[in-house]
Amino acid sequence: MIVIGRFALLCCLVFSLGAVLLLGLGVRRRREELMRWGYLAVYGLFFSAVVAAAVLLEAFLARDFSFAYVAQNSDASLSPFYRIAGFWAGQQGSFLLWTTLLAIVAVAMAMRNVERIDRLTATTVAVVAAVAAVFTLLMVADRASDPFVAAAPATAGAGLNPLLLHPAMVLHPPALFAAYAALTVPFAYAIAALVLGDTGGVWLPGAQRWAVAGWLFLSLGIGLGAWWAYVVLSWGGYWGWDPVENTSLVPWLTATALLHAMIVYRRRGLLSRWTLALACATFWCTIVATWTTRTGLVSSVHAFQRNQTLVVILSSLLIVVAVVSVALLAVRWRRFGAAAGAAPVRAGDAAHIALDAALGALAAALLAATVVAPLAAGRTVGPQTYDLVARPVGVAVVLGLALCALLVPARRDGTGPWRALRWPLLVAAAALPVLLLTGDWRERPFGLVALEICCFAAAAVVVAVAASARRAAGERGPLAGLGRALVASRTRSAAWLAHLGVIVVVAGLIGSNVYAIHSSAYLAARTGASARAAGYTLRFTGFSQDTGPQDSQRTFAHFVVSRGGRVVGRIAPHTDVYAVDGAALRAVILGSLPRDLFVVVQDPFDATSAHLRLQVDVFPLVRLVWAGAALLVVAGGVALWPRRRRVAVAALEPGQETGLGRDEAREGAR
Amino acid sequence: MSKKAQRRLIVATVVLVAVFAVAMVYVVASRGAYYRQVSALSAADDGRDVTVGGAVVHGTIVRDAAGVRFTMEDLTGLPTTVRVTYGGQMPATFAAGVQVVVTGRFASGGDQITAAQLETKCPSKYAGKASPLPQTGLGQ
Repeated sequence: MIVIGRFALLCCLVFSLGAVLLLGLGVRRRREELMRWGYLAVYGLFFSAVVAAAVLLEAFLARDFSFAYVAQNSDASLSPFYRIAGFWAGQQGSFLLWTTLLAIVAVAMAMRNVERIDRLTATTVAVVAAVAAVFTLLMVADRASDPFVAAAPATAGAGLNPLLLHPAMVLHPPALFAAYAALTVPFAYAIAALVLGDTGGVWLPGAQRWAVAGWLFLSLGIGLGAWWAYVVLSWGGYWGWDPVENTSLVPWLTATALLHAMIVYRRRGLLSRWTLALACATFWCTIVATWTTRTGLVSSVHAFQRNQTLVVILSSLLIVVAVVSVALLAVRWRRFGAAAGAAPVRAGDAAHIALDAALGALAAALLAATVVAPLAAGRTVGPQTYDLVARPVGVAVVLGLALCALLVPARRDGTGPWRALRWPLLVAAAALPVLLLTGDWRERPFGLVALEICCFAAAAVVVAVAASARRAAGERGPLAGLGRALVASRTRSAAWLAHLGVIVVVAGLIGSNVYAIHSSAYLAARTGASARAAGYTLRFTGFSQDTGPQDSQRTFAHFVVSRGGRVVGRIAPHTDVYAVDGAALRAVILGSLPRDLFVVVQDPFDATSAHLRLQVDVFPLVRLVWAGAALLVVAGGVALWPRRRRVAVAALEPGQETGLGRDEAREGAR
Repeated sequence: MSKKAQRRLIVATVVLVAVFAVAMVYVVASRGAYYRQVSALSAADDGRDVTVGGAVVHGTIVRDAAGVRFTMEDLTGLPTTVRVTYGGQMPATFAAGVQVVVTGRFASGGDQITAAQLETKCPSKYAGKASPLPQTGLGQ
């Protein structure tokens, strides 16, 4: 089977290179049959990638430990669910997954372009195939990245790391790779538009959908990673400002900027070059993220071992992408500038432009601090410094978002700013006594102001929705108006949801970061012994043991938790001892919306232990982080939901086809 | 958008992005801890804040009321070690053989780091299989 896998991998390489060559020639010579052959090669790439992936998946499912990679990342006792997760538990499988996803993306684009092949799509597919070729080359050329290496005879599985045995870990890597694959498409489209000098913006609608998909999966991947770190790793939080975490946030920032620039470009015909540059930058940042993770050149908690072939290939890819993007932008700069037209900049455009500039600046700053400074100056900063910068920035983003949502329509409609601001200001004023009288919010002035701003911003989004509902309602009732307003423009509804999601996430981050309590307790493991920490009392009631998943021997330490004299729950943090992998300490979380109580025993223990050292953390409002992240994902889904036929036909009306939207067409008509 | 406004916008954005990036590099380069391999620590780093990655040596973990002490070995294969003391929050994955990244003040005299921060490696790829249990003084 290993031979089949290897052969499929070589086929991947041949077909991807063939596709690039044929499509490139076909586009250059304007010969459709060459492009058609190129698409055939893309199908070949797809099938060989699927075969390679299927061989590896089958090896995992059949517990075939003659594959070194399977032996390293699974064992006979794993359930099928986690054996599938073994596929992307290491570097080799991750690259294969990524290549397969790229092949799926390429074939999806090729299949929709068979009737009449256009040069733009053909060039785009060629770029995607070229990226797939690089990752295939990595697997073929670098032994440490090759999933199809034979194991020494009679190898038993080493087992999946017990810390990876969590549903979030099964979904987190594929979500990130799906995001990276999807974000390749806007880049490929941008390169195609630049190469062909296609200033009409025909590439926009296609690129936009993939950009939304990529942004959705990136939000999902980052959210799941944070959740897993919080629930399983007990690092005392969900975000450590580690290089790998930071470099996954950078493309999220640029992708967010890209989505906003695309809206302005599509509707108003402005920002064409920004959009192109952001599409290239976002893809480049995804490669930086991979480069950081896989090469280990920047010290990271997540980084894989250093590896020479890998460093050379990934670094070359980084340089080539950067040089090609910058060179093409420079060559086509005037052409795209001249085609941009002279639409006046309105308040809404200005808001988008300001946001894009701010997100670009944040992404550059984060990249500079995470990657450039350690490499250039050999120094790094810790989480405290990042927190110090991130807190005001996050709150400023929320405030800016709210002010734009309120003041832009006010300016457009000619109503005064105070009229627009009054409801959100009232809500913020009403929230103040609640925040002052409940909980410990008043203890941190910054946090109090930040939470006030979040209330104000959330109210601003609601006011914007209500205003649209009122306009849409006409003769009908307000509820019908709300329904119509939500259905009328999917992009707008998605934007409302996403903005609300960002506000909720920031509120959660403020609560769980600024107001977090970290403490510890040390107590005798005697029934009735109790310890106080972080405002809670934990009373020990005894040990118990059972057999957990993967035949692990679990020892639980049972506690009754009370707060202010009232019992709030029972918890049982445990040590899991695995036959092959040693022990893992499992934290428990006693959660509610106002605050999570997070308890983990600091040293492995068994039923004979005399003392227990507990880590007791309190994370207020942390649930808002997960809720907000879920809102972001839902927002992405709403934006992606297929349009109904009626709308689809309307989208093909003249004026729309150019990619320049309604506003432009309307202005042209005046 | 007029040409002039466009140019102003581009210049303003580039300046904003550049200023942010340069400011961050400056902050990190002036305030940050020095990143070092264990083998690269030298007398020149005495009294500096350093960030060092390494593996926890088996049989060296001592836990007491003050926190934890252990010896960390070089990751690049050189036979260098450094001692670490740490009194803060322990990650649940800390154990002998595990790779850790510590940040703290280095004292070359005692060849010792007083860590303010300790992180264990993310278990993306699992290498060691040694059980941490014998290291922990169970049942004492």
